[in-house]
Amino acid sequence: MNNNKEQVVITVLGANNPGILAGITRTIADSNVNVEDVSQKIMQDLFALMMMTDFSAANCSFEEFQNRMQAMADQLRVKVFIQHEDVFRYQHRL
Amino acid sequence: MLFSLEEVIETISAVGVETFDIRTVSCGINILSCADSDVNKCAEKVYEKVVRVGRDLVPTARILEKKYGIPIVNKRISVTPVSMLANAFTEPTAVPIAIALDNAAKELGIDYIAGFGALVHKGFTRGDQILINSIPDALCSTDRVCSSVNIGSSQSGINMDGVYRMAEVVKEAAERSRDKNGLACAKLVVFCNAVEDNPFIAGSFLGAGEAEAIINVGISGPGVVRAALERAGNLSFGELSELIKKVSFKITRTGELIGREASRMMGIPFGIIDLSLAPTPAAGDSISDILELMGLERTGCHGTTAALAMLNDAVKKGGMMAATYAGGLSGAFIPVTEDAGMCRAIEDGALNIQKLEAMTCVCSVGLDMVAIPGDTSVDVIAGIIADEAAIGMINHKTTACRLIPVPGMKAGDVVDFGGLLGKGPVMEVGRHSPAVFVRRGGRIPAPVHSMKN
Repeated sequence: MNNNKEQVVITVLGANNPGILAGITRTIADSNVNVEDVSQKIMQDLFALMMMTDFSAANCSFEEFQNRMQAMADQLRVKVFIQHEDVFRYQHRL
Repeated sequence: MLFSLEEVIETISAVGVETFDIRTVSCGINILSCADSDVNKCAEKVYEKVVRVGRDLVPTARILEKKYGIPIVNKRISVTPVSMLANAFTEPTAVPIAIALDNAAKELGIDYIAGFGALVHKGFTRGDQILINSIPDALCSTDRVCSSVNIGSSQSGINMDGVYRMAEVVKEAAERSRDKNGLACAKLVVFCNAVEDNPFIAGSFLGAGEAEAIINVGISGPGVVRAALERAGNLSFGELSELIKKVSFKITRTGELIGREASRMMGIPFGIIDLSLAPTPAAGDSISDILELMGLERTGCHGTTAALAMLNDAVKKGGMMAATYAGGLSGAFIPVTEDAGMCRAIEDGALNIQKLEAMTCVCSVGLDMVAIPGDTSVDVIAGIIADEAAIGMINHKTTACRLIPVPGMKAGDVVDFGGLLGKGPVMEVGRHSPAVFVRRGGRIPAPVHSMKN
């Protein structure tokens, strides 16, 4: 694994409507954050999207990225969570 | 993909739905270098050192909250027991130190600062006496300062003079804060077997064997355990224990991550994770709810002590593997006013102070946040403290009393302390007097450490 990577997990949850994926990925691309893996499901009309991204080449701070994503999520009326991958690694991997 | 969608959603819903948080990141700071015979000069040095060493704590916690999406509810500082400094004071007061600590906490945005305390399990020094005499005034002149006094240990027995003196101090602190329902007592703990690395308030202090500065972490998480039990349905005891261990592992791992990162960012060594399940007054974030989900009609009914023993043990077993260094109090907390389920059990007549005392034999930490009638005598308070200390002394565990004799209130009245301290009913206490016993003077000798029946 490339040790210079800064892996950040982006999770989006909300009612399923057209344009969610488009809006979210546009904000990610505008911030120069690289999407490395995507998993998406519709669970009983709930739109659930998870992306593993590399934040190391981002054109903004982590907090600014969170703010940008939050603004887009508000527009799309979904919830977004931006978390460093370590929190999942610590909880779910030995 | 490194993680499944289900795993990620589990972590997110623990915070969003099940009220999981890191209860506290606490920074211990040694203040012995601030010694001075002039209490005011000492206070200036204490303020300067606490502000200098603790400056990064709140900003660091805020960065970590954002980075990992886990709330850190409290940012706290503990210091060396102030009685050690008080030995040198020419003037017999330690109140200026409490005010300096309070000012430092406010300057740094710290929720609570603790360590305005003394260790008198075998006897009093002059500094201990100065400190203890200053407690009511100190707690009533400050907002964020917490105090604790250790009056017994398994190695040295129980200093009954200390017990009686602390019963007087509890009573005086309650009276002095009459306008706030005796709130000063919510910031005062009387310990047996106090630990040196406890990150939890009000009994936190930096022990004499600790480093110059240290980061300790306290987790929370009763809501996460409750949610897991709700989903699981009917399980045998072995399966129940396994489930609690797994949940405890996950929440403790998160504490481990936060502790390591806070330590790295602040350049202060990581001390311990305290494996206690700590409730809050928020709906569902209750130890009592967990016990009732295990199958008790109401907490306090027969079987409660066994259920609590099992819960406490499973939390530790799960947490031990997740933490590099476990320490502090490490056990389920059962504070009364801070746990809405405990309050309901009292109001329903299922839980009384005698059963609560029995429960403290198998978990952290003692009679915690127990409101008692305002007219409870010093003798009865001393009796309650002595009983609790005896449980700790004989069983080699930490026990404590945080009793609030609420001025003007009687059993059954409801008292509201606000915020995390919560609100709850005033509990009935025994009305027969232990006066002759508790006033005998001297120490209860240390117990035998073999022949354990």
